[in-house]
Amino acid sequence: MTFKFGMLALVAGLIAAPAFAADYQTNLGPMPLDDETKTVIGGRGEVTATTDGNTLTVKGTFRDMPSSATEASIHTSPVAGVPGAQIFTLDVTKASSGTISGTIKLTGAQAQALRTGKLYVQINSEKAPDEYPWGPKGTLWGWLFPKYTYAGPGVPQQDHWFLPQYDVPSR
Amino acid sequence: MRKKTGLLVTAATLAGIGLWGASAVGQNAAGPFTQAQVDAGHQAYADACAMCHLPDLAGTNDAPALAGSAFMGAWKNRSTAQLYSKIAATMPAGAGGSLSQKQYTDIVSYILAVNGAKAGTTAFTPTTAVTIASVATGKVTLIAAPKPAAGNTGATAQTAGRQESAPANGPGDGNAQPQGSLFARAMAGARIPDPGRFTVSTKPGLTVEGNIQNYTPVTDEMLRNPPDGEWLMYRRNYQGWSYSPLDQITPENVKSLQLKWMWSLPENGTLEITPLVHDGILYVWGTGNTVQALDAKTGELLWENRLGPPPRQPGPGPSTEETRAMGLWGTNIYVNTPQGYVYALDARTGKQVWKTHITDEKPIPNGNGAMFGGSTGGVIIINGRVLVGMTNCGRKGDDNHCYISAYDAKTGKRDWIFRTVALTGEKGGNTWGGLPDNERKGGETWIAGTYDPSSNTTYWGTAQAKPWRRDLRGSGDGATDYANSTVALDADTGKLKWAYNHAPGESLDLDEVFERVLVDHGGEKSLLTIGKAGILWKLDRTTGKFLGAKQTVFQNVYAGFDEKTGKVVYRQDIKDQKVDQWLSSCPGPQGGHDWQATSYHQPSDALIIPLSQSCVFMLGNGSQTYFEMPGTDGNNGRLSAYRARDLKPLWSFQQRSPFLTGVVSTKGNLAFVGDFDRVFRAVDTRNGKTLWTTRLGTTVQGYPISFMVGGKQYIAVTTGLGGGSPQLKPSTLLREVKRPPNGYNLFVFGLPD
Repeated sequence: MTFKFGMLALVAGLIAAPAFAADYQTNLGPMPLDDETKTVIGGRGEVTATTDGNTLTVKGTFRDMPSSATEASIHTSPVAGVPGAQIFTLDVTKASSGTISGTIKLTGAQAQALRTGKLYVQINSEKAPDEYPWGPKGTLWGWLFPKYTYAGPGVPQQDHWFLPQYDVPSR
Repeated sequence: MRKKTGLLVTAATLAGIGLWGASAVGQNAAGPFTQAQVDAGHQAYADACAMCHLPDLAGTNDAPALAGSAFMGAWKNRSTAQLYSKIAATMPAGAGGSLSQKQYTDIVSYILAVNGAKAGTTAFTPTTAVTIASVATGKVTLIAAPKPAAGNTGATAQTAGRQESAPANGPGDGNAQPQGSLFARAMAGARIPDPGRFTVSTKPGLTVEGNIQNYTPVTDEMLRNPPDGEWLMYRRNYQGWSYSPLDQITPENVKSLQLKWMWSLPENGTLEITPLVHDGILYVWGTGNTVQALDAKTGELLWENRLGPPPRQPGPGPSTEETRAMGLWGTNIYVNTPQGYVYALDARTGKQVWKTHITDEKPIPNGNGAMFGGSTGGVIIINGRVLVGMTNCGRKGDDNHCYISAYDAKTGKRDWIFRTVALTGEKGGNTWGGLPDNERKGGETWIAGTYDPSSNTTYWGTAQAKPWRRDLRGSGDGATDYANSTVALDADTGKLKWAYNHAPGESLDLDEVFERVLVDHGGEKSLLTIGKAGILWKLDRTTGKFLGAKQTVFQNVYAGFDEKTGKVVYRQDIKDQKVDQWLSSCPGPQGGHDWQATSYHQPSDALIIPLSQSCVFMLGNGSQTYFEMPGTDGNNGRLSAYRARDLKPLWSFQQRSPFLTGVVSTKGNLAFVGDFDRVFRAVDTRNGKTLWTTRLGTTVQGYPISFMVGGKQYIAVTTGLGGGSPQLKPSTLLREVKRPPNGYNLFVFGLPD
């Protein structure tokens, strides 16, 4: 039964563009960090994304990178936290702080990936290494998840709090 | 991009920057270093690296192997310049760049030589770039230690002097031989300036003898039902609750909490201890196995025994140098040491009563004098026996294995052992993919167990199988019993009653080794535990049957996890891993959850759990690089409460810094916890709101407790440094946090008089 349902969902995802509007968000954090890379990798950012039919509109800001941004993009991912292939480029301010933006037409599969937490935003910068052993360079990244409430540091949330594992519809 | 790199290397070669450059060098051709560099590198490695990576470069815990197939798998296609850059920037851990350029080039030369590269006539420099596989074979060639330089004789003389002057119960035993770094030799040689200005000597041994009168012996009954104001064991009661029935300090008056006294503990090394309190005396362990008894009300020192050896390096130590819990029984206090000794000291005087070693000082083959078997988790005293776990349990190819062992508390005689690795022909022995018995490693026990007196059963968690990556381990999809399991043992015999493997075939250093909390709900007798993967498990502790589970932080290691059955299914690329492949792991080795233990707040049936949120990319040899956990907004720390009865989420808050202490909760509806960024806080157990904070000298690290003396309730906690992933990951991820490299202290707080 589970297998049948999965197949149906997969087929539906492949042939149908999203028929609903939904908001997504992510917080961009540095990657990857160790005592060698931390001198050239840093900063933070916030990104929101809105779907309208099969159109995805992405807007965000970033700041405090050790060197200027060179490009920003959206990638697919087998599962949140695992890097994957670049599928779109975004406009980005070529500076250590600035904005990113873009409007993208999603395929059904890409829309399905968005809904299941398998798209992420990445910004590259000048001083980041050209590549890492596991894939292309990066400086900031963050996975797009359905919009959620973040109470702020030290502020408790009761009964339910955002956990991507549960709050992304399916994996 | 690869073309670009190649061009750069070629250009550098043409420019003469890298003498060996990209020129073709035959397999195992002479290496780009000299024998003098290898010799100097051997000593530099012993001083700065061997403590974590081990004398034979085999690696341990967070320190990757630097020799053999694991090293070559990670480095064979990379250049010597990259190896130099990596080591110079990042090593020693937490102090990258702190050695001289010469020391780094010498160390790289030594590592290459151990991996089969032959010394040549040209000196290695930071820009010498040659593919490592072209000079090194990976066939490990252990190199004899160079003859000591003339300057080292002083250290030898100091050593002899120390041994001569050490009292019989001091560290004048085999294990206390000062080895390794100049710092260790200096520390062991009492070179600390101490011209009689301090009443307390810094020399090893029983430096202050106690004379505590009218001491009340600790009985089995007291351990089963601890007096309200006392803290007699690791988590205060046998059930592992870390819950104090004291209620003078409340949400209403906690804002007036103030420092009553503090005590400076020995600096350097790793401090993660639980103070104990009995009869108005507070007992604390400090680095260098310094055991002290203090007046719990005033902070006056009553006795001190420096068991030794001192920390091997200045500054924070690795995750193998601590102990987390002592134990009290009769008139003795029991102490396990990271070196594998178990001591009984007279709790009234500090004098040694007996001492034993958990492996009888069995040497590690080629271990440069090191012994098999360490112990960092602490002890639990049950029915007149001292139960202790084991770390450092042997390597592939030797016949050593981890075990839990029990000793007669009166004599130190070993009563039983339970080996945590199932061998061929034993129950569970078919879960190692047919590996020979001498290749079945791991299953360390680095957290003291808990105990159910009603069934006379003791419960322990075990760490993963070793090597932790299954591609290196060779056990295929085997579950590797009894690694990453809960084991239930008869407390009198050590016989296995049942075992539950939480993470069969674990592969990314995600231990399930931590505290086992025992809770009853009517007729349901459960055991709750949470490991690095962040899954809160609930088992029937009578049968070992799975009762439920709750995921507490994001994870991507399991493609499938069934909260109804407890079955986990690994991500396919983890199952198919190769030694030279980087794998993403959320959580990473910081956890999820780590040694910072849960408190069970009985009045609200709440498990209050310190959690961490970070991920890693990990290579086959254990090399790691980190990133923030998706969906956490950069918050590495989380404190969450779940109802034990049904695992319902109650409350949770996040913050940038992880929590580096266990939690203690009280009948006054407060929970106390400390963090990486020096904040110690009181939280309302009913809603998670922070009601009081104070900022201490360095990371708040250890296990806070609550006790009563003179009719007043106090809260005690330690600050300190050292340890593995819980320290290492935030040290890199939270660059804005600034902490001094010292400040090992004990603080005691109370309400105004």
